[in-house]
Amino acid sequence: MTLLEELESAKAAALASLAAAPDIPALDHAKGSAIGPEGRFTQLMRRLGSLPKEERPAVGKAFNAAKAEIEVLLASRRADLELRAALPREPFDFSAPGRRRGVGRLHPLSQVTDDIVRAFRRLGFAVADGPEIEDEKHCFDALNTPADHPARDAQDTFFIDAPGRSLLRTHTSSVQIRVMETMPPPIRIVVPGRVFRRDNADATHNPTFHQIEGLYVDRNVTVGDLKGTVEAVFREVLGNDVRLRFRPHYFSYTEPSLEIDFTNALVRKLGKEWLEIAGCGMVHPKVFENVGYDPEQWSGWAFGFGIERIAMLRYGITDIRSFYENDVRFLRQF
Amino acid sequence: MKVTLNWLKELVDFDWTPAELAERLTMLGLEVEGVEARPAEFEGVVVAHVLARDPHPNADRLSVCRVHDGQGERQIVCGAQNFKAGDKVPLILPGASLPPKAGESQPFTIKVGKIRGVESHGMLCSAGELGIDPAAIHHANEDGLLILRPDAAVGQPLAAYLGRPGADVILDLEVTPNRPDLNSVMGIAREIAALTGHPLRALATAYPEVPDAPPVSRDLAVRIEAPDACHRYTARVVRGVRVGPSPGWLQARLSMVGLRPINNVVDVTNLVMLETGQPLHAFDLRLLGKDDGGLPTVVVRRATHGEDFTTLDGVTRKLGPEMLLIADPTKGIALAGVMGGANTGIQPDTTDVLIEGAWFDPVGIRRTSKALGLRTDASYRFERGADVEAADFASRRAMRLVLELAGGSASAGVIDAWPVQVPRKEITLRPMRVRQVLGIEIPEEQVWRHLSALGLEGPLAGSGAGSRWRVPSWRVDLKQEIDLVEEVVRLHGVDKIPSTPPRGAKGSHPFDATYDVWMELRRLMAGLGLNEAQGQTLVSGDAARRVTPSVLSLANPLSHDMDVLRPSLWPGLMDVLGHNMARRNADVRLFEIGRVFQVGDRGPQEGWRLGIALTGARHPAFWSGADRDAKCDLADAKGIVEEVLEWFGLRGVTFTRQPEPTSFLIESASIGLGPKTELGQIGQVQPAVARRGDLRDPVLLAEINLDVLLARRNVARSAKPLPAFPSIQRDVAMIVEESVTHDDVLAAVRSAKPANLEAVELFDVFRGRPVPEGQKSLAYSFTYRAADRTLKDEEVTAAHQRVVDAFRLSLKAVPR
Repeated sequence: MTLLEELESAKAAALASLAAAPDIPALDHAKGSAIGPEGRFTQLMRRLGSLPKEERPAVGKAFNAAKAEIEVLLASRRADLELRAALPREPFDFSAPGRRRGVGRLHPLSQVTDDIVRAFRRLGFAVADGPEIEDEKHCFDALNTPADHPARDAQDTFFIDAPGRSLLRTHTSSVQIRVMETMPPPIRIVVPGRVFRRDNADATHNPTFHQIEGLYVDRNVTVGDLKGTVEAVFREVLGNDVRLRFRPHYFSYTEPSLEIDFTNALVRKLGKEWLEIAGCGMVHPKVFENVGYDPEQWSGWAFGFGIERIAMLRYGITDIRSFYENDVRFLRQF
Repeated sequence: MKVTLNWLKELVDFDWTPAELAERLTMLGLEVEGVEARPAEFEGVVVAHVLARDPHPNADRLSVCRVHDGQGERQIVCGAQNFKAGDKVPLILPGASLPPKAGESQPFTIKVGKIRGVESHGMLCSAGELGIDPAAIHHANEDGLLILRPDAAVGQPLAAYLGRPGADVILDLEVTPNRPDLNSVMGIAREIAALTGHPLRALATAYPEVPDAPPVSRDLAVRIEAPDACHRYTARVVRGVRVGPSPGWLQARLSMVGLRPINNVVDVTNLVMLETGQPLHAFDLRLLGKDDGGLPTVVVRRATHGEDFTTLDGVTRKLGPEMLLIADPTKGIALAGVMGGANTGIQPDTTDVLIEGAWFDPVGIRRTSKALGLRTDASYRFERGADVEAADFASRRAMRLVLELAGGSASAGVIDAWPVQVPRKEITLRPMRVRQVLGIEIPEEQVWRHLSALGLEGPLAGSGAGSRWRVPSWRVDLKQEIDLVEEVVRLHGVDKIPSTPPRGAKGSHPFDATYDVWMELRRLMAGLGLNEAQGQTLVSGDAARRVTPSVLSLANPLSHDMDVLRPSLWPGLMDVLGHNMARRNADVRLFEIGRVFQVGDRGPQEGWRLGIALTGARHPAFWSGADRDAKCDLADAKGIVEEVLEWFGLRGVTFTRQPEPTSFLIESASIGLGPKTELGQIGQVQPAVARRGDLRDPVLLAEINLDVLLARRNVARSAKPLPAFPSIQRDVAMIVEESVTHDDVLAAVRSAKPANLEAVELFDVFRGRPVPEGQKSLAYSFTYRAADRTLKDEEVTAAHQRVVDAFRLSLKAVPR
């Protein structure tokens, strides 16, 4: 057999064994026995020198061609086998639960608060805040509720055991005073926050709860403005089908004072015609005088409501204490 | 305040259904909280006259009667024996029902039917069948029919004959504290009159005076020693009354609105209080002490310090000098405006009665009532402000009713001591103001109509820019112009004011941006796998002091387990973990953003905190993986804290380990920013403490001061170019003493100043064989890179050797 013939048969054998290799190690082995340092081709190459000078270029060319052919097949077989190796061996069960990262949830009260805040902000309100430990001036006196006023009856107050008769604010309205004392009109703020009343905890009471309140002070602010804004906010918070009704009421720091009832499909499902939802009114001239605003120049309105009540209605929660127990099975529902 | 529909209709005409009335009053600011229909008693039972009684043709024990029911004659078959023609008896008409007997659930309905072949058109009734106790209505208790008085009007409903009320509707009204005038039937009727334009019918107050009756000044003297607290005191005297039960209508009326009938004199004072809003008190005149001249004398004075006084309810109370007492020359006889005294109340044998109608200062009554913990219908009305002009009117009304119901004869005239007369207020209302507040134009004549309808007098002469109005004495809430604006809008109707779309100034407040940071932080924490908790602000002092000794207490806590303000979010979070454990939620990862309170140098201080609490499984449940059962440990808590601090853009944060465990934390560190700024705390709870909440897995807590974080927040970001040249990595594993910390390693690295070092990463900590006891193996990976060229192997080797040498030298490390 001539060298050329041997080359041909070695090439055929190499191609066959590469094609037959079932996996990457077998392929590597086949490659080694063909074109590796101890491979058949390498051995044949060494005999190239023994050929007559004039034959060498042709055989050399044939060598290179055969080697190239093997390399091409090797590369394509390697790609094939690698792809096959990457294929999963068993089918993936897509019905089994995935590996979760366990993202947490925001407390329902935070979510409801933020929805209400967003509704107010869309109308140009800025979020304001004030201390939870208050004094009687900001919580009552400046709000036109003097010490012996019967209206203080309804607000049983926690007092701090420290000099100065500081107390836990019973409503977010104290922030009205704080803001108006330090900022000139016009004012347009929304105040979410914790408030405190001396009520024993039961399904509808917790000594700690949340209120949110809007205050708008400007020139020529009217009851019509109050109604318009209240309607805009509640449509966003309670849905577009909500209907509101305003009826006269009494709060010491507004005059006229109004209570707001609402109704929608949910209220009717509860078997009621109206549900009380908020209180509001035009800021009392005395309150303006107490913060140094001229009531002849400035007018304004305030309205406020409980966040728990909205959250309870929205999510169908029947016990206010659930908010403060923080059972993770409860928290994860929102 | 409860009131009935019929009662209101006695005072004012209106033709609304109860539901319509409730709606109208509610929209007027007088919220109707309940509407309860009371059916009439003895519906379909009338007084019948027996015209003839004949034997039944087919039964010995029955008779066939002809009776007249007021409309016509009817034939009735009856089994009773105790009556005769001419008697008046109760007849129940066909279609009406008898109340169910004991043990029966269904009422018995009467039908026209044949009894032993004879038709019967109704039934004559016994007391038992009607459910009446004959003794209670002063009738003979006979076996058989209830025989009525001979003068009973034929055809009259039995209820009317008995003085029982007809069908009525009870309205339960929520009266706001500014409107004491509405704590009376008259006040509510006045509002209806203003709405409808129909006149208010006056209560009858005229009473007969005996021509030569002695003047009341011979019965009694009144001396007001505290005119600031008692502006007016009126007294009337009636002699020769007969105290006894009130008639049925009066008892029924009081019961319907929730008052217990007592006797005719006391019931009259209560009735008149409900009618007029003016509390009255009746004294037994003979029990009053006399002055030196032998004349019974009422002294209105302040109590002395520690004075004992026994009120009508039999309780002896210690009074103080701020309390007003009605007294005689020797003793107290009533706690003014709150409750009468046990020593001078109306007795069954009382004959001479003093009727007191007075005005007391609201603040004083309120303080007294609060100090003594004694609230009565009278104090409720006085402390909100009674109508000083109603005192005499109500007293006259009571006198009329006492004479009518209890007999006796009135002494002539009245003692009316009225030392402090406050003129009625006058308020000017400018049309401009109405327009300005309401945003609509209401014609001035209409505004005037509304005000007049509410009893304001005006417009008075001589007013300039607006109209001037005199406020009626009962409207203590009307003080200034804006109050009149409210009256106008009430009567005009809030629903008639059109809503105007939101407009006007754009608001601003420094907290606005902070609110956003808190909300974003909430979402970051949720993204880190924590659920948000909202804990109680009020926690138990014991739990709070476990965390910090400086705790703010409540002066008036509700209970022992909520007696202080939380000084940290940890006590609340521990409670929440315990609560969850009790419900078998063992894997809990929580955060809370809220305020905490501490004793500061200048009084109470509050601040915002982020709290973190972890216990139980590190990962959500999963069905494969080597570390799926891993529990949270301190590194999990620290990792979360690091994410937060990085999000706030804080650099150079240190964790300083507390060398000794505390009674609360077995392992802990304070988180700081530089040497002076404390950012927070992190730690693992002592197992013994955790066990109290039945928490068995490690409990990790962290708390970060958000006020500091916010102040030091750095949100400025700038982009660095990504590296253009490859890096070279070198690893070191070494055995060191247990006391060597990661910070020590980093310090050693810094001291070696290796060139081109880009990053150092701890990738393994190992304890146990073959590492000797008390030592550990640390493995670090070093990344070297130059910004401007590809590093050569030799220069990295040289730099890295300096690091390894530094480890050997300063850490006594043995490279592995």
